[in-house]
Amino acid sequence: MHDFISLLPLIIIGSGAILLMLFSAFEKIQLETASYISMGFFAAAFLAQLLVGCGPETVLFDKIFNGMLVSSNFTMIAGLIILGCGFFTAMNSHTYFKINLFCTLEFYAIMLFGACGMLLLTLSQELITAFISLEIMSLSIYILVGYDRSNVTSTEAILKYLMLGAFAGAFFTMGTALIYGGTQSTKFAEIGSFVAGHSGTNPLVLGGVFFIFVAFLFKAAAFPFHAWVIDVYDGAAAPVTGFMATALKTAVFTIFANFLAINGALHKDWITFLFYIAVFTMFGGNLIAIGQNSIKRMLAASGIVHSGYLLIALVAISTDNFTGTVVGYYLAAYAVGTLGIFSALSYLAGEGEKRATFDDFRGLANVRPYSAAAITVFLLSMAGIPPTAGFMAKFYVITSAFTAGHMTLAVLGIVSSILSMWYYLRLIIHMYFHEAEECFETGGSPLAAAATFILVFCVFAIGLYPIVI
Amino acid sequence: MIQDYLILSVILFCLGILGVITRRNVFTVFMSIELMLNAANLAFLAFSRLHESMDGHVLVMMVMAVAAAEAALALAVVILLHKHKGKLDTNVFSLLRG
Repeated sequence: MHDFISLLPLIIIGSGAILLMLFSAFEKIQLETASYISMGFFAAAFLAQLLVGCGPETVLFDKIFNGMLVSSNFTMIAGLIILGCGFFTAMNSHTYFKINLFCTLEFYAIMLFGACGMLLLTLSQELITAFISLEIMSLSIYILVGYDRSNVTSTEAILKYLMLGAFAGAFFTMGTALIYGGTQSTKFAEIGSFVAGHSGTNPLVLGGVFFIFVAFLFKAAAFPFHAWVIDVYDGAAAPVTGFMATALKTAVFTIFANFLAINGALHKDWITFLFYIAVFTMFGGNLIAIGQNSIKRMLAASGIVHSGYLLIALVAISTDNFTGTVVGYYLAAYAVGTLGIFSALSYLAGEGEKRATFDDFRGLANVRPYSAAAITVFLLSMAGIPPTAGFMAKFYVITSAFTAGHMTLAVLGIVSSILSMWYYLRLIIHMYFHEAEECFETGGSPLAAAATFILVFCVFAIGLYPIVI
Repeated sequence: MIQDYLILSVILFCLGILGVITRRNVFTVFMSIELMLNAANLAFLAFSRLHESMDGHVLVMMVMAVAAAEAALALAVVILLHKHKGKLDTNVFSLLRG
């Protein structure tokens, strides 16, 4: 029974996706109805996910799935983040697609399919299951990125993303093949016991793990494979970008952490590699972000920087009693901040996202003080100012790096955090210390604005949660 | 014997990478990616024979199904591109520069 409840969110989202796909064949159903239906499914799955409170690890349906799916508190947190992101993205899309008219009913169905792949990815403890769920997730996200078919920029974004994503997928398969050759299995548990049982490095396992890391680093937008992320985020519609930046990253980092945690020896072999990747990701991302003029591109680059912090957390995880709380907390804090800004952009950007650069948001605080205040809260959270969620998350990541004995990494993390103030504060200055040049009229429904203010509340709630408890 | 299959698989994989990096036609790039996936499939089969188990065969089926889904989407994107630009050369797409 417990196994069934653990799997219930996945079942709800999966059946919701199929139902909505069938509904979209009927002409009578309105776009708004579809967005309410998808919100309902996300909310139901979120509540179902809340019911799952379990020990460190439970194998789901051991006989039927042959130990491929494992749920734990970590996957539960990741599931909650993904489903929450889906819910707020549905709200944002409701508003966004009242102003921009290229949406059809299938949009929401594909979003549910994407969430389904992400949930499966967090649960999977087997490489081929991970590959399949990674592809379910990626294929849905590709379609969402290129949804505006009349727009050349979005077509170019989907082409870039699809080519590079499929390239990374091929690396993942080759890595799986090599690991299968080395260890006779693709299950995490058996790979772990193989690595533990054999001293010295097996060349096949070494190469395979490297290839799999390449695929994960690509999906997480880490240093050598980060170039695509800015273009793709820029080309996609604002709600889709918000969904990609938060839910997709959550899913990828969950499986990455689960994969690293399979064995201490494996984690130890790759610490130096991950150390340099984390450092280059943080500083490379900062350099790119400083040079951007468009808000979406700046947020994409800041997403790269946040991947760097998450990599610090991955370097510092302890494999013996892995809980993933630091990674989970950082993902939650990052998700509310980023999703909040994209909610605000969904209703403020206007028709065809005409307000895109820093200059377009000049004097927002004079005309729409509440929206400007909300955006400021999100930016301060991402920069890591107390008492927001972002501060606590960075605090935990850096303390975990200290505890694990990576002083250099912790110090570099703090330096990078100070550097990132530059571009977050720049937007705040543009909003508050300039005269307004336009009246920032917004159309559509109030749902995205509602999502923004709920997320402001979430930023403080998540930030104060560890202190109160 | 097993080495021969693995060497062939590695050669195919490297050819795929080379194709993705050097070729400018969208179709050729997608074909190169399929080549990489099939190189991985060949490695799966060779290892399956080595370990004398059927697991590898099952995994190959899974990978092929996923590759087919990906190809379907890729072809749709190619048609979309052709509508916009009338060309399939990746050089003409320069609106977005990271």
